[in-house]
Amino acid sequence: MSLFDFNDPQVVLTWLLSLIIFLPAAGALLLCLVPGKDGWCRGFSLAVTAVVFLLTVWLALPGGQGGLPGRFNLSGDQMQNMVCYAWIPSFNIFYFLGVDGISLPLVLLTSFLSVLAMWASWPITKHVRAYCVLFLLLETGMLGVFLSLDFFLFYVFWEVMLLPMYFLIGIWGGPRREYAAIKFFLFTLVGSVMILVAMLMLYFASDLNRLTLDQLIACRVIPPLGAGSTALVTPLASSHTFNLLALAQLGQSGGSPFQQILFWSHSLSWWAFVLLFIGFVIKLPAVPVHTWLPDAHVEAPTPISMILAGVLLKMGGYGVLRICYPICPDAGYELAWFVAGLGTLSMIYGALAAMAQSDFKRLVAYSSVSHMGYVLLGIGAWSAVAGSQYDPHYWQMAMNGAMFQMIAHGLSSAGMFFLVGVVYERVHHRNLDQFGGLFARMPVYGGLSMGIFFAALGLPGLCGFIGEVFVVLGVWSYSKVLAVVAASVVILTAGYILWTIQRVYLGAEYKGPHAEALKPMSRREVAIAAPLLAFAILFGVYPQALWNYITPTVNKTVTVMANWTANVKDHSPAVQEPIQP
Amino acid sequence: MTANSNLIPSLLGLAWLLPLASFVLIVFFGPRMGKAGKHAALVATAAIATAFALSFAALVLWLLQNPLSAPNPGGHAAERVAAESAKALSGEWYALGVFGPLRIGIGYYIDSLTLAMFCMVTFVSSCIHVYSIGYMHEELSEVVDPLAPLANGQPLRRRGRFCRFFQYLSLFCFSMLGLVLAGNVAMVFVFWELVGICSYLLIGFYRERTSASNAGNKAFIVNRVGDFGMIIGMMALWTGMGTLSFGDYRAVDTAGHRVTLPGIFSQVRPAETKHQLQVPDGMVKLASRPQIERIVLAHRRDTRTATAAIAGQLRGWRSQGLGYGLLVVAGLGIFCGCVGKSAQFPLHLWLPDAMEGPTPVSALIHAATMVAAGVYLVGRFYPVFTPEVLLVVAIVGCITLFLAASIALTATDIKRVLAYSTVSQLGYMMLALGLGGWLAGILHLFTHACFKSLLFLCSGSVIHACGTNEMPRMGGLLKKMPYTAITMLVGCLAIAGAGVPLLAVGFSGFYSKDLIVAQALSFRASNPPFGGLFFYVAVIGAGMTACYIFRMWYLTFAGEPRDEHIHHHAHESPKVMTVPLVILATLSVVAAWNLFGTGYGLQPLLEQARPVEQSIAHGVFLPGVTMPFEHEAHVPQIHTPAELVAFLAALIGFVLATAFYGVRKWDPEDARRTFAGIHRFLVHKWWFDELYSFALVRPVLRISGWVAACDQRGIDWLIDHLAISVAAVARFDDWFDRLFVDRLVNLVAQWTYAVGLRLRRLQTGNVRQYVMWLAVGTVMLFVVMSLYWNLALAAGM
Repeated sequence: MSLFDFNDPQVVLTWLLSLIIFLPAAGALLLCLVPGKDGWCRGFSLAVTAVVFLLTVWLALPGGQGGLPGRFNLSGDQMQNMVCYAWIPSFNIFYFLGVDGISLPLVLLTSFLSVLAMWASWPITKHVRAYCVLFLLLETGMLGVFLSLDFFLFYVFWEVMLLPMYFLIGIWGGPRREYAAIKFFLFTLVGSVMILVAMLMLYFASDLNRLTLDQLIACRVIPPLGAGSTALVTPLASSHTFNLLALAQLGQSGGSPFQQILFWSHSLSWWAFVLLFIGFVIKLPAVPVHTWLPDAHVEAPTPISMILAGVLLKMGGYGVLRICYPICPDAGYELAWFVAGLGTLSMIYGALAAMAQSDFKRLVAYSSVSHMGYVLLGIGAWSAVAGSQYDPHYWQMAMNGAMFQMIAHGLSSAGMFFLVGVVYERVHHRNLDQFGGLFARMPVYGGLSMGIFFAALGLPGLCGFIGEVFVVLGVWSYSKVLAVVAASVVILTAGYILWTIQRVYLGAEYKGPHAEALKPMSRREVAIAAPLLAFAILFGVYPQALWNYITPTVNKTVTVMANWTANVKDHSPAVQEPIQP
Repeated sequence: MTANSNLIPSLLGLAWLLPLASFVLIVFFGPRMGKAGKHAALVATAAIATAFALSFAALVLWLLQNPLSAPNPGGHAAERVAAESAKALSGEWYALGVFGPLRIGIGYYIDSLTLAMFCMVTFVSSCIHVYSIGYMHEELSEVVDPLAPLANGQPLRRRGRFCRFFQYLSLFCFSMLGLVLAGNVAMVFVFWELVGICSYLLIGFYRERTSASNAGNKAFIVNRVGDFGMIIGMMALWTGMGTLSFGDYRAVDTAGHRVTLPGIFSQVRPAETKHQLQVPDGMVKLASRPQIERIVLAHRRDTRTATAAIAGQLRGWRSQGLGYGLLVVAGLGIFCGCVGKSAQFPLHLWLPDAMEGPTPVSALIHAATMVAAGVYLVGRFYPVFTPEVLLVVAIVGCITLFLAASIALTATDIKRVLAYSTVSQLGYMMLALGLGGWLAGILHLFTHACFKSLLFLCSGSVIHACGTNEMPRMGGLLKKMPYTAITMLVGCLAIAGAGVPLLAVGFSGFYSKDLIVAQALSFRASNPPFGGLFFYVAVIGAGMTACYIFRMWYLTFAGEPRDEHIHHHAHESPKVMTVPLVILATLSVVAAWNLFGTGYGLQPLLEQARPVEQSIAHGVFLPGVTMPFEHEAHVPQIHTPAELVAFLAALIGFVLATAFYGVRKWDPEDARRTFAGIHRFLVHKWWFDELYSFALVRPVLRISGWVAACDQRGIDWLIDHLAISVAAVARFDDWFDRLFVDRLVNLVAQWTYAVGLRLRRLQTGNVRQYVMWLAVGTVMLFVVMSLYWNLALAAGM
């Protein structure tokens, strides 16, 4: 099979996905090699992010099977557009990529926010070339995380993303940037180590011999029959695997190899879940491992805050959704109360902490903690149990809501950080008590801010509402108490958002320094904020635009786990189905 | 379905979307519409007026399809069951989310109540739009706002925001109509929040004033407290019934069959029970989860037998009362939302503050439409409410009615008197609904919308002329502003319920208030021990209403002018403001009348939408409570005494107001001194603001401070100190390394070196000496080895 045989759809797909991931990295390399002025570097980077965005849009265009390669099949609930090549065969490590309804919206969000954040980087004047190089590397890491289906590859991208972020905060940040950068780095690294340990645990416990031929083909451990005769079954180096789909199949089977007791009478699956969960939840972030976030946000430059809140936090949710639950449903079931409770705690805690802040950016950062709590709550609401006759629908609703909330929060929080940046750039302070009257001085800015802040407040007609309300409505079936506590957050959210609006935008006059610098927004700034608001309105009014992508996959994920509860969890080992060789 | 019945939703849908179109147009092109955005008012007014025309056309269509039955006040409940159930159009335009059988969408539920609300809202809105053109005209040029002082003491000068006002007004109309049209609870909630945000924006229209932005925040946040309850109610409904839509939903299932998914109403009042209240299956199952779990686990592999076993148990569980609590929670939750929106006790205190907004806003949002939405929703949700919930509704309404009326007696700000009056009248509606008087409550909603918007607009006209809200600075304006004074008098008579008892002729308020008082009396008759309280409060409230409303009128228009300067500058408002006043005044008189010689009128129209009453209206938790049928209140034994007592109470109130403020027979100062304690209590509004600030707001802020401190001084302290201790360990390690490890290594090296130096002396170059050492060494080796060998052998033995 030639890599340049463009008549082969598989080859086109390989190029498409690889370009999406590695085009930014190639751009970064080029920037390193070719000299150029600052303006050229920015323009070039923006062009690269724009091209990547267009490529991801192609990936999202609806199309059936047998259509043009790379188009998304909306009715499919399985992984699509998979490409798989051996990378390190001796350890069964593959270059394995693909998209489904969970990863595709996040890929699009990433590429979209990258364009906006790059464009928002115009005011950065320090070491522009280095900034652009790191920014593009960061984009490669983020896209790689969402596209890779091999755990090892996933982990590599996870780490790739870490270093550029460290430098971007540590060099271009505010006064306490070193502290914030190292805090961010260490927190994430602790999480990474846990993920690494869990990954190796799962790898060495995995046994491909337990899967049927069909399953192996569905997971692309074996290439589909008839697709390229040259790539017929190559003998595998061992029966262990990093293939995320295969690991999920193994984890969900009765008598799974991950159910062996490891220690303290908990299974390997349980321990792996806990390690992975801590690793991902640091990124999400949930209380009490969230304190890197306010510092990182406050110190990071505006565009990096946008990326951090818009994309990096979603990786935590994505990891829980893609890796923790499908592979270790056992522990997910037992720890559902913990996951959902942690989500609720984060919601309340973040909202209360936000209310007490006097730094504008810190407030927005805590609001992120609060909003990402919905994601955890929605994922954890395991209501498909015997008492509900394994009815998966409410959990589906909550998990869909969680997924929607990730996108909605990606839009609204990136927007809020950008808006804070706009005013910070003018007056160089963020003290909430020293604003006021901005609506009169910057009317367009005031209008856009109202829209985006209302989206964060969860106002109907804007994207925040859909995610929150679907999560909360879905949770009652799992736990009344958590649902009620979660619902009470609407009061606190209204409180801190409205008080912020009052302190910053309303009032007779501006009370802080540099009043003369409060010029209306430039066209560039409007062009960055307006699309965010436009999408917030679109998804708020017509959420189906997003559900079409999300729902089939998420529903499938939940249904599988509901069936697992009925068939594996609630059956004594005696009646378990025999494992097929 | 006929073509006509499809036309009604389209007409109302169009009427609903027109204000949205106007909003969008004004957002983008408002400032460019004429000079300073002057024509934006025309766009908004045209949109809402057309919406009224469409709504009215829809109403006519509806009446052609569903002619009103002859007015039948003594009609029997059983007769109505067959005739009136299912007289509603429901459907869905598009889905917000679908999960298996669960779906939430944007749709409609149209019955005669919806149509009446549509006509009322669009009509009152149209009047208020026209009025606002006059009232807001100073926003066309630069505005000097003395209420928003700058740091240097100068009043603020700002650009006018004429078009923005109409932009928000249009958004509000869209949201309000959406709320009325809504086909499911989620859609109600969506528009519930949207009217809330419009209210927030319009209360804070003068956003430079701190008081205005505070009032806006207060309104929204207090409403969110109610919404919190409403979300709980929605969750209970959603999880218990699997649907939020009022009407049935017709769909095509996966197998291609047409199926009807029952809505909330048909689940709670299914046809099998002759539309009597029944806990839906889903709620019973939700409450019986432990039992179901046991059954499911017992029938492990066989879901079919498990399902059959559960179905068999369902009746038993229901008779044990399982799930009834959920129904109560659902009802109370939904009512919580209504408490917030309709400013009922204990969430009443946002509404008086909301008077910071421009007066047309107060008339439209905070009198006629949005605050009445809570009452509307109670009316809409009536079939779902259990007697326990209804009793709570009645109690809340009763407290509110008395509390607000008492505060209105002492308020001096003309708009605040009206605001408390609104709260009090909303309390009346809730009281009526809670006591089983569906028509009484809903009718009062409509009549109140007419006369209260009229009263507010009149007060706006006065404020426009005087430049102040304070009644002590007005007085003697009757001659200066005859139109305003007369129309306001009509409004006062209407709210006081003026009419001729026994002949049943009167102002619109007369009919609705009579119905309410009669219902309270009827409730007393069927629940002797405590039921009388509601009746007494309703009667006392009628007296207080007459007293405070005429006090307001006298203070404003009668007597001598108390502020010469203000009186001198006062003038009648322009036509664009007085014409709406006259229209609304006419409506305040005739709103509850039937058309001459026909059975057509508001009452029979609303009667058509009446939900089916329960034949046995005892609660499960409170078996002693009986909800009387509404038609029982129409019998003369109840209606006549109620009518007379209410009339008498209002008359006493009127006489008191006249004696104190009209003819000044008695001096109000005397009364104030005599009851100084009570007066202080009322002027401070029962100290509710202080109580909430002390008991709720400050604790929350304190806790949030603690949380933030916990982050910075707790978790971060821990993390930082962890890092510091790791660094300390590293430093110790470094020190240890240098002091011990390195030194040891160095020591070994030095020692080796020293040994080497010593050994060097052995290297003499003397061959004989070498040979001798060789020999000695070999011998020594043998000796050692043989010793070791022997030892090893000995050990081996």
